[in-house]
Amino acid sequence: MTVGLLMLLGGIAAGAFGSILGLGGGLLIVPLLTLGFGLPLREAVAISLVCVIVTSSASAGVYLQRRQANLRLGMVLELFTAAGAIIGGAIAFLIDERLLAGLFALLLVYVAATMLRGLRQREPAPQATDDETPPPPEAAGASDNDLGYLTGRLPVAAVGSVGAGVASALLGIGGGLIKVPLMHLVLGVPLRIATATSNLMIGITASASAIVYLVRGGIDAYVAGPTAIGVFVGATLGSRFGHRIGQRELRVLFVLVLLYTAIEMARRALALD
Amino acid sequence: MAADRMDRSAADLEPALARVLQVGTYVSIALVAVGTVLLLGSGTSPLAGGPALTIGGLVRDIAAARPEGFLWLGILGICATPALRVIGALLGFWRRGERNMVAIALLILGVVSAGVITGLLTG
Repeated sequence: MTVGLLMLLGGIAAGAFGSILGLGGGLLIVPLLTLGFGLPLREAVAISLVCVIVTSSASAGVYLQRRQANLRLGMVLELFTAAGAIIGGAIAFLIDERLLAGLFALLLVYVAATMLRGLRQREPAPQATDDETPPPPEAAGASDNDLGYLTGRLPVAAVGSVGAGVASALLGIGGGLIKVPLMHLVLGVPLRIATATSNLMIGITASASAIVYLVRGGIDAYVAGPTAIGVFVGATLGSRFGHRIGQRELRVLFVLVLLYTAIEMARRALALD
Repeated sequence: MAADRMDRSAADLEPALARVLQVGTYVSIALVAVGTVLLLGSGTSPLAGGPALTIGGLVRDIAAARPEGFLWLGILGICATPALRVIGALLGFWRRGERNMVAIALLILGVVSAGVITGLLTG
């Protein structure tokens, strides 16, 4: 009972943190389950993917309702992210968990560095992250719903999307860290639409790799249950009340948590634990 | 004119797909919540190792109010919800005669099905 409640609370914290800071929960769920509860990394990644689908589907529904996501562009790109996710799901069972831990440590350091850069600026720059919290309705506009962005750029978009899918499946994240910059910087999609479209794509990307884990018996339902409920509740609370919390202090705290987690993951990668 | 028609079709489609995602998520998470309450109520530690998914056992577990039945059905619902959205988009684009998007939707579903096959072959 106590372990279950701790898992639930951990999920709430991960969901709330992720939602308030515009990061996907996956970044926190994997360390929570591996370092906090001693789960094997692959199992934690699989459960993280389930949680990512929950938060992505809930918020993608809101984005679609507000007509912020570019449905056609999202569907073309998710064809490639889903393919990458299946490749990543298959690779995940072939490579050593220590290598996975090393890759995760690098990801954490990258996100911490990105957040530190944002802290140095007076007004935090819009983050290209696994944002799962829809912006307020007044920010919404007409959707930019066509495929013109892909003209002449389909090959690079396809390669980047496959990469996002592989990263998602290997590390249990949504992959918005790759998809949003790809759409915004390479394809020229406005950031608001890129974020919403990335969110729409996260569901099918994570679902494609979660299915690989599921079929291979890589998902533990007893752990997935309390964690997914916690993340769902936390993300909901975070999106409703997050604006009342001081962002700067929270970001500083989060950077410290990320760096500590990165060190622990690196220790695991180097077999020092 | 064709572009106007496409924009209108997407405008009709988006709220419908939003409903698919929202209903799918809430129903699935409700099932997982029931399973979690049953699990925690039974005093079983989540770290005890949950039973594997067996489609045949799913109905039996739910009928017997075992946590794993609700948990697995909820997890399957969570994983299937994005694919349901793609199926909804496929039907919507089919009705509007957007064959390119129908083809894209079919390819996505094909890739997701390939995931199941990959899992089975490599499992």
